[in-house]
Amino acid sequence: MSLMTMIVKMSEGLGKTCAIFFLTLLFSLPLGMIVALLRMSKVKIVSAITRFIITVLRGTPLMLQLLAVTYGPYYLFGTNVARNKLIPVVIAFSINYAAYFAEIYRGGIESIPVGQYEAAEVLGYTKLQTFMRIILPQVIKRIMPSVTNEVVTLVKDTSMAFTVSYQEMFTIGKQIANSQTSFMPFLVAGAFYYIFNVIVDYLMGRIEKRLDYYS
Amino acid sequence: MKKILSIALVLMMVLGLSATAFAADSSPVADRTTFVMGIDPEYPPFSYLGDDGDYTGFDVEVCQAVCDLLGWKLEIFGVNWDEKLVQLDSMECDCVWSGMTILDTMKEAGYVISAPYYDNTQVLVVKEESGFKSSEDLAGKVVAVQLGTSGESLLNDDLADLAATFGNVITCDSFLKCFTELQGNAVDAVFVDLPVAASYAADHEGLLIIDEALGAEQYGIAFRAGDAELCEAVDAAVQELVENGTYAEIAAKEEYVDIVNNLIFLNGTGAEEEAAA
Amino acid sequence: MAEQKINTTESGSTASILSIRGLQKSFDSLSVLKDISLSVDRGNVISIIGPSGSGKSTLLRCATFLEHADGGDILYDGQYALKDGVYASKAELNRFRTRFGLVFQNFNLFPHYSVMRNISEAPILHGENREEVRERAMMLLKKMGLEGKENAYPCQLSGGQQQRVAIARALAINPEILFFDEPTSALDPELTGEVLKVIRQLAEDKMTMVVVTHEMPFARAVSNRVIFMDGGVIVEQGHPEEVFGNPTQERTRQFLRNYQQ
Repeated sequence: MSLMTMIVKMSEGLGKTCAIFFLTLLFSLPLGMIVALLRMSKVKIVSAITRFIITVLRGTPLMLQLLAVTYGPYYLFGTNVARNKLIPVVIAFSINYAAYFAEIYRGGIESIPVGQYEAAEVLGYTKLQTFMRIILPQVIKRIMPSVTNEVVTLVKDTSMAFTVSYQEMFTIGKQIANSQTSFMPFLVAGAFYYIFNVIVDYLMGRIEKRLDYYS
Repeated sequence: MKKILSIALVLMMVLGLSATAFAADSSPVADRTTFVMGIDPEYPPFSYLGDDGDYTGFDVEVCQAVCDLLGWKLEIFGVNWDEKLVQLDSMECDCVWSGMTILDTMKEAGYVISAPYYDNTQVLVVKEESGFKSSEDLAGKVVAVQLGTSGESLLNDDLADLAATFGNVITCDSFLKCFTELQGNAVDAVFVDLPVAASYAADHEGLLIIDEALGAEQYGIAFRAGDAELCEAVDAAVQELVENGTYAEIAAKEEYVDIVNNLIFLNGTGAEEEAAA
Repeated sequence: MAEQKINTTESGSTASILSIRGLQKSFDSLSVLKDISLSVDRGNVISIIGPSGSGKSTLLRCATFLEHADGGDILYDGQYALKDGVYASKAELNRFRTRFGLVFQNFNLFPHYSVMRNISEAPILHGENREEVRERAMMLLKKMGLEGKENAYPCQLSGGQQQRVAIARALAINPEILFFDEPTSALDPELTGEVLKVIRQLAEDKMTMVVVTHEMPFARAVSNRVIFMDGGVIVEQGHPEEVFGNPTQERTRQFLRNYQQ
């Protein structure tokens, strides 16, 4: 198999890799905020439960969570395993990343001086207005570097979808490597991930720059 | 030209000498003292050059145990795989025992072949309720295969035509996942080694092994025509090793993890399992 | 906040913009405000002085609902925001909030907003006309000596400028009373003057103000009344000339003596 065919075959899986990546971000970024707010809830039981869930999600391998989401329902309830693996993959990734984003958000929210809340309160902002207009924009700026880190990690983590037989780029690479007894597909995969991350890095850098108008 | 010729002559002499050094023992089984095992030295994990420079591998270890049992001294001879039967005939070794696929042509040519000990047959496993009866029924359906198994390579090469009729072939990184996908209705069939299929189907209800041996092969030991007695002695010795547990002990080694499921003496064949059931 | 409904339209008498009666506040077992009563009449400037920890900031924070008082009454324009330790409803408290402004020690400007948006967003959110609010903001900026700074961000301004933006922001909702919580304490000494000048100008415009401050000459010059607090109680209050010139209480004298050094 020529290098070119290898690259062509693997880029067929790249679409699926991108699907995992973008859908995971689409769901985990907002979900993380909900989790962060639950984690900071003044109702002790809510924050305790949320905290426990976060430690489980951050304290167990993503691969295990992928298996649990994909095959867990079948083993527990005998339900069908999803034919389209994108669904369980995105669910598992979104939940896992939401836990990480939640902790980043929490750190960001807690770093905002209490004076910002007080100033808004005295000016008659509602709680929601305060959060959406005053707190969140400042939180976003503060957490951008940590979020970029997670996003870069996500690009690489998409390769874990192979454990549930989702035919994304890395899975195809492994198949080629196996049938061709060649290490080349792994190099190609590495190059793909690297280029993907260079683009991600550039885009995140631009967002950070746009938020640079104040300090 | 002369020079090349002389080098070739010298080489032939050296080869000839080494061949005579390993001259096989044609004496009957009873008073045999040595046993020359013909192997492909580059066929791990069945036979290969170990890290310590000595030949090893599953076949070599079993053969050593056989020789220990029968009181023979084991000598190992690396054959040229393309010429293995010629070398066997020319008494350079007493058998060819090295992950060798049993071919009908061997039997037709009069070679004595041992009981098959390794089953490389691939089958399709489906759910009984699905009503699939043959590989043709699976046209357009989704088939799971374990990544890196002979099944996967078969679907890529020898059985590529069959694979093309499937709707999709997905690869799982363990056969357990293949079967989970099947039982969870995410795929319609699993393409897997027969012994694996048989043992899994025996433990799990509702599965059906489609009665088509795809890419069927079995490994055996080849002996010269007329060495039936020797073959029987080796077969019997191997059976004794199976019974006293030595065989399982060798198979349990880490380096043989990939082949252990296909060892007929330990797992039985699919056919036997079905007969038992 | 307590659920019990109180009638906010009920008159608590007096023409005072703000009346506080028997206000109590403790943090855990530490009693910070012990039975504080005071009233602020329209157009008056009241300075609250006293050592740190005397409860003056807490008093201001209770008056602006940033701290939850444990007991007493708070009335704005004769209407109860807090009656006998029971607060009015959230919606009503929000309506009270439009009556006052608070200027913080640390400015607490919104760093991601331009000066204009800092000043104009709250009134716009309250439903005022955007253009009118912008015009008013420009006028306030002019008054604060910050013409041309409407598009700047807080980080581009000096501390004194930031505090003047904060004052403009508090004024933008047209409050009836303005509270200052040590407005110059976070400023470099050379920058306090410009902020005090603005407050003095507001006093001349008859803006009703309550100023917690350590700037004694300023308090003496600008206030109609000075309140000296210590240990959670009002020790002494009166005309600035009386309190500064001839304090009746030993604690007041001691405090002022420390300041004169």
